Amino acid sequence: MKRLALWGVVALSSMSTLAMRWQDPRTEVRHLIDAGKYADAERVARAGGDPLRVLLGDALVLRGKLVEAETEYARAIAGRAADRLGADVAIGELAERRGDHASARQHALAVVAGYRALSKPSGADHLAAGRAHMLLMNGSTADANGALAAFDAATAVDSTNLDAQRRTGDLFLARHGNEDARSSYNAVLRRAPDDARALLGLARVEDYEGKGSALATVRRSLAADPNLADALSFAARLHLESERYDSARVYAARALASDSSSVDAWSLLGATAWMTGDSAVFKRARAAATVLQPKPAQFYTELAEASIRQRRYANVNELAKQAVALDSTATHALVVLGTNQLRLGQMTEGKASLDRVFALDPYDARTKNMLDLLDQMRTYRTIDRGRFRIVAPPEEAELLSLYIVPLLERAFDTLAVRYSFKPTTPVRLEFFRRSADFSVRTLGAVGLGALGVSFGNLLAMDAPSARERGSFNWGSTAWHELTHAFTLGASDFRVPRWLSEGMSVYEERRAQPGWGASETVSFVAALGSNVLRPMSGLSDGFLRPRFPEETQFSYYQASLFCDMAVQLKGEKVLSAMLVAYRDGFDTPQVFQRTLGLTSAQVDAQFDQWMRAKFAIPLRTVVSSDTTKKRVGEFQTTMQRAMSQLEGGKKDSARVSLERALAMFPEYAGTDGAAWFLALMQRDRADTAAAIRSVSIVTTRNEVAWDANLLEANLREKTGDVAGAMLALQRLLWISPYDPQIHVRLAQLATSRKDFALAVQERRAIIALHPSDELDARVELAKALAAGGDMATARRELLQVLEQAPSFEKAQALLLELRARATPGASPDAP
Amino acid sequence: MRTRVAALWFACCVSLSGIASPALAQRTHVLIIEGLSGEPSYKHAFDSAATMLRTGAKARWNVPDSSVIVLSEDSIATSPMRGRSTKEGVAAAFTTLSRRVQPGDVLLVVLIGHGSGEGAGSKVNLPGPDPTAADYAAWISGFSRETVVFVNTASGSGDFLSVLSGTGRVIVTSTKSAMERNESVFAQYFAAGLTSDAADADKDGRVSVLEAFRFATREVARAYESTKRMQTEHAQLSDSLLARAVAFGGAASSTDPRVVALVAERQALEAEVAALRVRKASMDVAAYEKELERLVIAIAEKTQAIKAAGSGK
Repeated sequence: MKRLALWGVVALSSMSTLAMRWQDPRTEVRHLIDAGKYADAERVARAGGDPLRVLLGDALVLRGKLVEAETEYARAIAGRAADRLGADVAIGELAERRGDHASARQHALAVVAGYRALSKPSGADHLAAGRAHMLLMNGSTADANGALAAFDAATAVDSTNLDAQRRTGDLFLARHGNEDARSSYNAVLRRAPDDARALLGLARVEDYEGKGSALATVRRSLAADPNLADALSFAARLHLESERYDSARVYAARALASDSSSVDAWSLLGATAWMTGDSAVFKRARAAATVLQPKPAQFYTELAEASIRQRRYANVNELAKQAVALDSTATHALVVLGTNQLRLGQMTEGKASLDRVFALDPYDARTKNMLDLLDQMRTYRTIDRGRFRIVAPPEEAELLSLYIVPLLERAFDTLAVRYSFKPTTPVRLEFFRRSADFSVRTLGAVGLGALGVSFGNLLAMDAPSARERGSFNWGSTAWHELTHAFTLGASDFRVPRWLSEGMSVYEERRAQPGWGASETVSFVAALGSNVLRPMSGLSDGFLRPRFPEETQFSYYQASLFCDMAVQLKGEKVLSAMLVAYRDGFDTPQVFQRTLGLTSAQVDAQFDQWMRAKFAIPLRTVVSSDTTKKRVGEFQTTMQRAMSQLEGGKKDSARVSLERALAMFPEYAGTDGAAWFLALMQRDRADTAAAIRSVSIVTTRNEVAWDANLLEANLREKTGDVAGAMLALQRLLWISPYDPQIHVRLAQLATSRKDFALAVQERRAIIALHPSDELDARVELAKALAAGGDMATARRELLQVLEQAPSFEKAQALLLELRARATPGASPDAP
Repeated sequence: MRTRVAALWFACCVSLSGIASPALAQRTHVLIIEGLSGEPSYKHAFDSAATMLRTGAKARWNVPDSSVIVLSEDSIATSPMRGRSTKEGVAAAFTTLSRRVQPGDVLLVVLIGHGSGEGAGSKVNLPGPDPTAADYAAWISGFSRETVVFVNTASGSGDFLSVLSGTGRVIVTSTKSAMERNESVFAQYFAAGLTSDAADADKDGRVSVLEAFRFATREVARAYESTKRMQTEHAQLSDSLLARAVAFGGAASSTDPRVVALVAERQALEAEVAALRVRKASMDVAAYEKELERLVIAIAEKTQAIKAAGSGK
């Protein structure tokens, strides 16, 4: 009761304050602006006369009446308005919008000088100074710091100055300070939970961080201010990225209805038209942007960025170059150009572009990162073999090339037949020993969670040494990325990302048993809980995942779609889809032409297909009683088995594990029933059963190191040398760095007279820089000789003996080879 | 310019051969000092390195028991060749060895443990008072007519190098300064290098101090790399020329005149290979390979003949 009374006092007090504020027309105009009622704001500001002239200018800017706004600002300055610094910086910002950097700079410098001359600057003066510094901060840390200090001062003078805090967020975000930007926007939102601009800022932070919530947050911003052109443009950009061209077009149009002077909105409309081949709209957008910005660098930069997002790398250089030609100081366009040149393998040109950016703005973190990486890559070794160019750190270039080139040659031939397309060769594959370097190579910044990337015929990926052993399979990753080169090329870079990823995973599975994503407990649980996105919305599963596992689920889901499509229409359907995309059809049209189904039918049919495919685990992984139990019978059975194992009740555990295996026979995780059964069977010396159990894991799980090692041991023990060799070869795709695996494989290969494999393994041992390299080279010579390559064996031995003439093992082998080459001569003859 | 460099290199080879000759007939004496371990894992590591060296010295280098002294934190002095690694015990061991050595012999001293201090005050922690680098310098000063190989594998051992360096000495430390004080793994790799074929880079059946040092530094770097740790120890060596010349191992020389002659002929052929390598850059590739093959086959045949004559070497 007391609390309620207190609330009443607070409420009355707030209403009273509100009433007082509304007596001040400035406050009224600001409130109207914040609510998106720009016309009303303009009307009230006009009625306010000279004191409200700057606010009138602001309202006019928001309505796209830029010429009128500039006139009002000029009048405010002439009339020595209190906020004349604000008017002056606003004129500078309008000049910047036109692309007139010189004029913008001139106004900004004047504002900064005026600000410094003030003995007691007001909050508005601080704010104007901060905005001026922001206009000047390209390439200047001093101005970035100046802007921050001025915004902080504005907030200190008036802690309710939300504009200063919002702009602080914008400042941080412009300098890649996403965490600080989020703090600034949240500070605003604590005071004004519906602040549309702060919500827009927050959405931008979320997008920067790759979070799936960006679209929802910008929708909140638009709910607060439906006319905020920047928010509408941002929503258009998000839809464009998701390849939802209709929605992108609608949002861009709404932004223009609110502010027809938004170059951003015209650029997005133009980019959407470019992507969909709508030349009439494209020309209209370009013309409009040119009116607003006589040298529309921003327009072309937006096109170039949209092309990157849609993986149309081949178009990007031309567009970015147009932007740079229009504005040689357009650092963002130069970054786009340089980055894309590097993605196309134009290393010299890319570096030159980035050097230009660095000269203009040495504080651009992404450019600095990439230039540093390029310096480091100068030490990398390039190996040209067949249709591939491998670029890798010198310590492991030879080792990785030994394995990856034959694999990719096989992949190339397989995929060329499958997709009736051949990428330009050589295909360049770069390996990085640090995931952070791979991330910088891809994005210019660290933090990319991916393992590999394909830019067409340039592939980049983590070297197997970049991650913990068992965290990824470098063979399947390379196959995956090369598949992109085919699917992108065959569709003229028009295949949507979800399908391209789906095809890559699908091809991984076809390449080798066990490769590619497979069913997991969490995937089946997500399917059973209806958490998975429908096919028609799968792009967002990649671009804006709602929860951490969603990206992985989306890869697998997309690959299953390929399975279903092939089952429905046969092998050629995937190729036909790529051709349809190449010919300009959108996804619903592609579905219709290749599958004979509408998008809704595809969604329904695919859902049905998945539920049939996973019918058995769906019954046991997902609880039928959703009100009480969170997990299904499979999980509880596994938990029971683990408890029994820990308690030493092996027989009971075995029964539980066998039950769990029957519930989800395909599950191959190393926390699954098959793996534990294999271990128990091994301990009981039931080798045959152990091999059967462990094979369930090794044929479905591409990163199961221990399981493959166990299988190799078990098979070798039973005399199944061929099977043991296969397991050892699978291990090498998980990690090629254990010399013992290579030695073992070489010995087994020799025993089976597979001398080509023995030679490869002996070469791998040398590539690992063994402690006793000369001995390893003699072993290589032995393998070469055994395989009949006497000339190479002899050359190898001569090189060894050149370094170590006393090496008796090498001497003996050389004499033996000589004796073999000279019938009648005995190696024992003195 | 290239010719001048090559000629210089050849001169070095000849000169090294000169240093190496006495080493072939050397008598080796070994002193292994294990410091305080502090915990079982270190104790195991220290013992393992010491055992490797002791058994290697006996089995591979044919060093008699009377010339191998092992001191450790907990040894009971059951024989003059084993004892506790106190300061007095170390001093006594040097005294024992000083009576045994003859001019031209090689004394190998290996310290295994945890280091502390810096400069002349650098130490390896032993039971009781710790001798300093200056103390060790005083003890080895009595071996001026022998070659001393002093290896401190302890953490923070770097300053031993400047304190102990001198003519006729090879000083090896596991770290580059006293400041590298994290746990060192150098001991196990240096011991493994000295006592295995893997470090024998020229495959002459003997492992030189330089070969063992290079092996150990390479393997230490690999150990850090494979566990993705920043390398916190960087070994150093005082005299690479002498380190190349001082080697351990190899079968005993034969006194059979036929074998002696064959060995000499083989050594001459090996010198021809060295000379041929110097001329490589100025020769036609095919001619070079042909001559190389002729020489190495001749060397191989000499080896066979030596073996047939009943010598392991």
